[in-house]
Amino acid sequence: MFDIFKDLIFSSGFFSLTGGNMVMWLISFVLMYLAIKKQYEPLLLLPIAFGILIVNLPLTFLMEPEHGLIWFFYHYGIELDIIPPIIFLGLGAMIDFGPLIANPKTLLLGAGAQAGLYFTFFAAVLFGFDLQEAASIAIIGGADGPTTIYLTSKLAPHLLGATAVSAYAYMALVPIIQPPVMKLLTTEHERKIVMKKLRPVSKLQRICFPIVTAMTIMLVVPPAAPLISMLMLGNLFKESEVVERLTKASSNELMNIVTIFLGLSVGATMTAGTFLNPKVLFIFFLGLFAFIVSTSAGLIVAKVMNLFLKDKINPLIGAAGVSAVPMAARCVHKVGSEANRRNYLLMYAMGPNVAGVIGTVVAAAILLKNLG
Amino acid sequence: METDWSKVLEVFGSGIIGVFLVMFLLQILTQLSTRVIDAVENRGKSADVETDQSVVSAKD
Amino acid sequence: MPELLSPIAGNVWKILVAVGDKVEMDDELIILEALKMETPIFSEDNGTITEIKIKEGDAVNEGDLLIVVG
Repeated sequence: MFDIFKDLIFSSGFFSLTGGNMVMWLISFVLMYLAIKKQYEPLLLLPIAFGILIVNLPLTFLMEPEHGLIWFFYHYGIELDIIPPIIFLGLGAMIDFGPLIANPKTLLLGAGAQAGLYFTFFAAVLFGFDLQEAASIAIIGGADGPTTIYLTSKLAPHLLGATAVSAYAYMALVPIIQPPVMKLLTTEHERKIVMKKLRPVSKLQRICFPIVTAMTIMLVVPPAAPLISMLMLGNLFKESEVVERLTKASSNELMNIVTIFLGLSVGATMTAGTFLNPKVLFIFFLGLFAFIVSTSAGLIVAKVMNLFLKDKINPLIGAAGVSAVPMAARCVHKVGSEANRRNYLLMYAMGPNVAGVIGTVVAAAILLKNLG
Repeated sequence: METDWSKVLEVFGSGIIGVFLVMFLLQILTQLSTRVIDAVENRGKSADVETDQSVVSAKD
Repeated sequence: MPELLSPIAGNVWKILVAVGDKVEMDDELIILEALKMETPIFSEDNGTITEIKIKEGDAVNEGDLLIVVG
């Protein structure tokens, strides 16, 4: 009788608990608080936080290769690169590329912000990360969760938890991180610029855009194919207006389903052993650096473009080139309306914002081509 | 591990240039396709657009 | 007669004025909701509201007539 009792206690998780596990619980609780109370990207942070919690309960073997439940989610969803492209399908079905088609010049702003992430790459190498790790950290500056996860899982899977959480956390903090940078790099006069009205975009143009973009990008940078093909397919669904059921399935049900597995698996990669090391602190620091640099790069490119353009653009919209859709665009709108309350930049900022999504994928594909 | 700085510079340089080139190419193609579509759709609608165009070019 | 056109596409969240109200330049007249963000729309003239073309909950497009200020 006593032996059975003793067995029960010794086979329980308690005796295998480490201090590190408990620190991870704490991190998990903080993330849950941020998700539930502050509503920072709750759709992702909540499953991530729970994933962290359960993977730090010993002897559950949830992440045990070939055995654990969540390992299977992780393996099939993330290691085999299935979930990020499916999320992109849903994004494509939701994104309105209209403001971008009306003003294709904003594609360069998307490129500008993404170019910023190569500076982060450089900085990360200086901090002593190897090239693959540095690339995975740099992509955080693209402010695009699925792309960050996609690239990190290919180049530096051991950093997956840190880069993903950092990307989603800073995305939620865009309204705090971006405005000071925007105000620092633009003058009051520039922020007041009211932009020329966007021209109307016809249905045919909307339908052609995803086709042209898919062909162009996949021909030029083939490694971008998994993400860009799904993104453009989703957009074609939406703009064709003949497959409403597929559009809705992609952007609602399918996307919600894979988001659960994505968040849970990403959280589950964060065991005490992989997460609690000084490198992770540097990743969070460099992630913030990446956001600031990419925002600045977008603003600077916008200012350079203004030197050549007849119809001046408001340089603030360059900051929307980081692809956090639509947080960055909202942020631009807010800062713009503080300078001139009758300046409604929202739709203008959506151009570079959605261009940023394409730009991040291109930047990730180039990194993958060079380092994969 | 020793850092291979020539590789770092290569990734850095080719990345920045690459992103701009690809996005610029996409810009040109988007502009081109929207213009072609504009032209086709306008020709279908009315012939007035033609005269508008000629007025502009006459000014130049 | 100055007309207030919608600067962006969105949904009408709140209408803060009624027909007959006197408004001044830069008064907040309407709050639109676009991309889950509330965007206040300000008066562009001094005058009296003579007509309100929209109601709360309406979807408006860019350039749609919102309010006539007489």
